[in-house]
This record gives sequence, C-alpha cells and structure tokens, in this order.
Amino acid sequence: MKTITDLILKMGKTDRRWIFLIIALVTLLPLFFPIGLPIRATEQTRVVYEAIEQLPPNSKVLLSVEYSPATKPENHPMTISVMRHLFRNKHKVYITCLWPDGQFMAQDVINMVAVDEFNLTYGEDYVFLGFRPGNEAVIKGIVSNIRKLYTVDVYQTLVDEIPMMDGINKFTDFDFLFSSSSGFPGTIEWVQYAADPTGVPMSSGVTSIQVNEVMPYVQSGQMKGVLAGMPGAAEYEALIGIKGDATSGMDAQSIAHIVIVLFIFLGNAAFFIERKRSKKY
Amino acid sequence: MKDKQFWLYSGGFLLLLLVYWLGGHPYFKAERFVMFAAILLMAGTLIYYIRAANRHEEFYLRPIPGLKAVEEAVGRSTEMGKPVLYVPGIMDMDQVETVAGVIVLGHVAKMTARYETSLNVPVSRSIVMKAAREACRESYMVEGHPDMFHDDMVHYITDDQFAYAAGVNGIMIREKPAAVLYMGKFYAESLILAETGNSIGAIQIAGTASQAQIPFFVTACDYTLIGEEFFAASAYLSQKPELIGGVKGQDMIKAGIITIIFIAVFLRFINDVWGIGPDILQILTVQ
Amino acid sequence: MIWKRQIPILIVTIVGLLTLFGWFIDEPTVESFVNDDATQWYDILASFAIFLGALNLMKMQINKIIKKKPGWIYSIIAILGFIFAITAGFFIKGVEGVEWGAHVTTDGTLFKWMFDFVFTPLSATMFSLLAFFVASAAYRSFRIRNFEASLLLVSGIIIMIGRVPVGGIISSWFVMYILVLALGIGLNIRFKNKMITLAVVGGGILAVTTAGMLSGWPLDQPSIFYLPVLQDWIYFYPNVAGTRAIMIGIGLGIFATSIRYILGIEKSYIGE
Repeated sequence: MKTITDLILKMGKTDRRWIFLIIALVTLLPLFFPIGLPIRATEQTRVVYEAIEQLPPNSKVLLSVEYSPATKPENHPMTISVMRHLFRNKHKVYITCLWPDGQFMAQDVINMVAVDEFNLTYGEDYVFLGFRPGNEAVIKGIVSNIRKLYTVDVYQTLVDEIPMMDGINKFTDFDFLFSSSSGFPGTIEWVQYAADPTGVPMSSGVTSIQVNEVMPYVQSGQMKGVLAGMPGAAEYEALIGIKGDATSGMDAQSIAHIVIVLFIFLGNAAFFIERKRSKKY
Repeated sequence: MKDKQFWLYSGGFLLLLLVYWLGGHPYFKAERFVMFAAILLMAGTLIYYIRAANRHEEFYLRPIPGLKAVEEAVGRSTEMGKPVLYVPGIMDMDQVETVAGVIVLGHVAKMTARYETSLNVPVSRSIVMKAAREACRESYMVEGHPDMFHDDMVHYITDDQFAYAAGVNGIMIREKPAAVLYMGKFYAESLILAETGNSIGAIQIAGTASQAQIPFFVTACDYTLIGEEFFAASAYLSQKPELIGGVKGQDMIKAGIITIIFIAVFLRFINDVWGIGPDILQILTVQ
Repeated sequence: MIWKRQIPILIVTIVGLLTLFGWFIDEPTVESFVNDDATQWYDILASFAIFLGALNLMKMQINKIIKKKPGWIYSIIAILGFIFAITAGFFIKGVEGVEWGAHVTTDGTLFKWMFDFVFTPLSATMFSLLAFFVASAAYRSFRIRNFEASLLLVSGIIIMIGRVPVGGIISSWFVMYILVLALGIGLNIRFKNKMITLAVVGGGILAVTTAGMLSGWPLDQPSIFYLPVLQDWIYFYPNVAGTRAIMIGIGLGIFATSIRYILGIEKSYIGE
C-alpha cells in the first residue's frame, strides 16, 4: 500500500513537461489512428442548423469572418460547414471581415467551397467584400450604409458593378447573419450594434473559450444558437452530413479531455495522501 | 439633503429638462428616454457620492487582497533584486480596461520609484505605449526619481496577439521577474502568459474585465481582481476621496439595479400571467 | 502646463459628452460623428501611431545587438523579419499581373507565402500551447479543498467530458452508479459507519440496476444524468447566471470609470 501511495505522491509532484509530453502523445495518436467516436448534435448546434435550414431559398446572408490562423482549427471548419449549408440551400452569401487576418481565412473558405465544390459565379452567388479597419465602426457602418463603407470589393471591383449588390444598402437588407468569431471585434459586437437593434436574426460560431461569454445573448434570444468551438463545428458537420477537419479532431480532443480528467484525479489523490500524512505528523 | 448645492443644481437641471420636454423636445429621440433617464440617474448618484467624499464623509472600502498584494509584490521584487513586469493587456486605449490598466500602472510605477526597483512594461499598441510612458514618467517625477525613469521601460513589442504573448514569455524566461502584474483586457493569451509566469515562480496579480479569461487567471495567478474590483483599483491605491466616493456611488447604483431587477421580474410575472400592468420588457429594452 | 493638463481634460469632456449624449440626439451630423467619425478618427490616429511602435521596436532590437545583451541573436531575426514583411507588403509582389492590395490574399505572392508558411504556423503553435497549459493548470489547481472547489471540480469534469463525443457514449446509468459510489464515500467520511455506507451503496446499486432493467438501459435516459445534456444545462443556466452578474458589475465599472473621465475626476491618464 505504501508503495502505491508513494508512487502517487511521486506522480503528483511530476515535472509539468511530462504532462506536456503525454498530452502531445494522446492528441497526436488519434489523429493518425482515428477511433471514429459517434457525434451527436447538442441543442445549441441544432438551433443554428434549423435557423439556416428554415431560411427561404435565395435569402441574402451576411457571413462575417473574424478570426486569425491561430484559431483556424476551431473556427475554420464551422465557417466551411456553414458556407456549404448556405450554398446547398441556394442562398446568396456576402462575406465581410472585421479582422485583417479574416480576409485570408475567408479567401481560403471561398476557394474551397464556392469555387472548387460548388463552382459558383462570383458576383451572382457570392461576393467577398473583405476587411475594413475600424472594429465596431465597421459594424455601425454596415448597419447604417454599407455602400459608404464598401465602395469596392476585395478584388478592387466597384461594388456598384456587382449584380448581387443590387438592393443591398444597409444591414436590414440582409435576411440572416452568421459570425465566425474568436474575439474582439466579433459576435458580441454584432449582437450589440447590428442584430439586436435591427432585429435581423443572427447565429454565430465561436471558440470554446468564448462560449460562456456569448451564452447570455443566446439565452435571451438575441442570437439563434451558437456553435461552440471544435465540438460545435463537428456537430454541424454531422448535421449537414459532410465530415471535415472538426470531426477528425474530435477523437483527439475526447482522449485529451479524458487524460486531463485522469490527471486531475491523480493530482487530488496525491493531495489527499499528502494532507493525511501531514496531519499524522 | 446634506448637499444643498447638489439638490439645487439637480432641481434646476430637471426643471430645464421638463421645460424642454413640454416644449416638444426637438432633436431628442423620445424612444430612448428610459436609457437617457437611467444615465442621468446613475451619473447623478456618482456625482452625489463623490461630492460627499469631498466633504470628508467617511466611506468604508472593503479590503481587496489583490490590491493589498501589489505593494507586497513590488517589495518582494526589491528584496530579490529582480524587476517587476507589468502587462497592460493586448487591446488599445479605446477599451476602458486598457485605460484602467494604465491607471493602475501609474500607481505601480510610483511604488517601483519609491522602492527603486526596475519596471518593465511591454505593450502591444503604440498609443498604449505613449499613454503608459506618460503615466510612468509622471509617477517617477512625483516620487522624486525622474532620473530613474527611461523611455524604454515602456516598450512596444507587436500588435499581434500571439506574437506579443511569445515576446512577453521570452522576457519572463530571460529576466525572471519576481512579480508579474496583468492589468487590462486579455484574450486567449492569458493562460499562456500566466502559466509561464507561474513556472518562473513569480508572484502574479491579475486584473481584468474579460470574463472568459477570469477562470484562467484565478487558476494560475496568486490574486485576481475581477471586473469591478479592477475598475475600483485606482480609488483603492490612491485613497483619493473623490475616487472612493465614486466606488460608493457605484455600489449604490448596483443596489438600485438589483431592486429594479426584482420589481421588473414581479411586473413581468403579473403581466404574463394576469395581463395586469405595463409590459416592463418593452419599457426596459434599449431601442 | 495648460497643454498637458487643462486642454486634454477639456477634449475628453467635450468628446465624451458628445459621444454619450449624441446617442439621444436626432440630428444626422451628430449621429454621423458618434456612429462613424469619432471611432474612425481614433483608428486613423492609431494607424499613424504604429510608426512610433515600429521605431521603438527597432531601436530596442538594434540596441540589444550593439550591446550584445542576452538573446541578441534573436534580435537579428526580429529585424530581418521586419524588413522581409515590409518588402513583401510594399515592394515585391512576387507575381505579375496582380493589383497592389489584392496581392496580400492572392496565391503565389510573397506576402501570401509569408502568411501561409511563416505567420500561420507560428500563430497556431502559440495558440496550441493552450492545450498544454490548460492540462498543467488543471492538474495543479483543481483540488478538492472545500465545498466550492469540489463543485468547481465536478462541473469542470462534466463540461470536459460532456462537450466531446466520448461524453455521448457514457451511459447515464454508468453516471448514476458513480454517483451512488460517491455518495457512499461521502457518507463514510461523514459518519465513519460501515453499515450505513454498505446499506446506502447496496441499496443504491440495487435501485439503479432495477430501474435500468425495467427501462431497458437507454443510453441517454434519465437525461438529467446524461453528460451532454448535463453540460448543456450547466452552460445555459448556472454559467449564464454567473456571467450576467459579472457582466452587470463590469458594465457598471466601465460606466463609473467613463463618467469619472468625462467629469475630469480621474486624471491618472495624464499622470495626476
């Protein structure tokens, strides 16, 4: 018994680099040898899916991309899936970015989904308006007069010459907003300055860290559901029936979470043994 | 009714407002009246308590362990002959948290000047660099050590979130500061910074209003100032009556908000169930 | 002194009041100033201020190299990186026939190459460090010290497991068995009576098994013990309640700080 408790104590004081190594291993292995755990959509993901599914065909959807390569594994799969869903249901997609890096991310998604998969026509099926500096001011600008803010698109084409932009002058001309966000400015600013004051419905996909911050807006009905981090993206992939990067990352995340929980148990066991011994002496 | 002047001016202002309202209130968005009234009421409460504090009325300020620990942390750095690292967040001066972070920096700089300890402030925005420099320069002058201040104690690293985190981590690993203070707006880099600070054994104090980062700071730092505690830091550290009065006013507003929440819930309930009374949700919703 | 004290305070007061009350004024010029211009002015100022930052960065790095301070070799990389980014952004596109401006997102250009193969992997590396730090921080600090800490630990574990697919394959009956055992441990610590512990654990196991056999062991029923449902509930109710309380406090703090600025009570930003 003493040997076991000593071992637990020793493990309890282990150098954190061992923890790092174990986490690296348990994350890497499932990526190479997938287990294929079943994915069930949670309520919030279903709400997002239903909100988009119920849009009438040819709806004008604003897709705002505000994340950087750092959070690409979490945000990119959800942006890809949502765009797939929108194009499959024959909607018109208008893409804007509140982050400069978002422009690169959006371009990547456009190339992958709009160009390679759906072979759509630029300016008729989708338009890429791109990044404008100014954080909340950009949102306010889109709400009041999008034409003043965007005179040209990303490719320097005059917005007036883009057929899809006919009848698009302000935020209320859109039927739906989806924001793929990983911080400021992002989802919360879209709720505060655009969706809530105008009543245009919106949904969002955020990183796991952000979920508790945006949840009050979901509960109050100011947002229609939320895709929560990589699990949310994987659930959305399951709902639209096209597996992607998020689904393949789920095995790794599942195992990593279990290992962290085991570490917590181990840490507590060591803590209790130590406390018992110190009481004894 | 102790502050007659306050009530006199308030009364006069309200009278003017009434005349304006009865006169057809041109240029005023009437649908936003509730919000306007709330701002006036809250600002009035703050001003009332600030004036009360200026009249030497005593207000009790709950001890905030995190702020008490700031001086300890600077003292510890002095004893160990190591620098104090101050991280004012990753956002610009248009965020109130950054402004609050720069304010606290002013107080910390006074302490480092007093104790003759070196201070290192890496920043991620150029305007923050200018503001933080001014705050530090003034603090060193006030403490009578202008010679100890040099521009490079506040230095720019990069605007990029994770590059900044890498830069600050590098400073921590190389210089091994004895105290690290995180005061401002943070995002996902918070845990990366705080865990590195933890690994070098520094005493760490964080203050932020970024809700999502509070759990990370609580886990990895010795003390964490949560939300309003962080905004009250300036009052606590300076002990200036007008700032302490502001904190008291803030508490009274909070009591008012709690009362309104209870009343609103009750009104909503009776309106929903029996259809009695006004639709409070409609009244309180920001138009 | 007037330029460093009174004038800045006056600017803050005027612009602050205009921005605060501009929201209630029904006049297009004021609305345009509040909604667009004021924030854009700030962005223009901040854009120019970037030169200050860049110069400071270069000064620090060059200084480090000249004085051969520890890690000076990395300063060379920082300077070279700086020069390379400026060259790729403003001087060499790398591909002909692409408009300046559009070149940053066009495949094959030097800037896009830098973004894809230098910036992206470096940023992703820094962000992925979080996974390791979360593990080590959780390991170190999630301790059952008192009731609150235990509650935090249990919620943390439910969220961690319930959020990922593995949580979906853990039957609610398994969770119920765990709860019965946990209850047994708790009672044993409290009463130190083996009979009570045995009775509760035995009775609990029997009750769960009987209920399971009668209902056919459905994976997600009763849903209150199904981890994905439980984690959704934690996110949606206790978490939102706490978040809202903190939000109200933060909002108040921001309001009070702003009012102190506008009224010129808080002057620490100009060094007072």
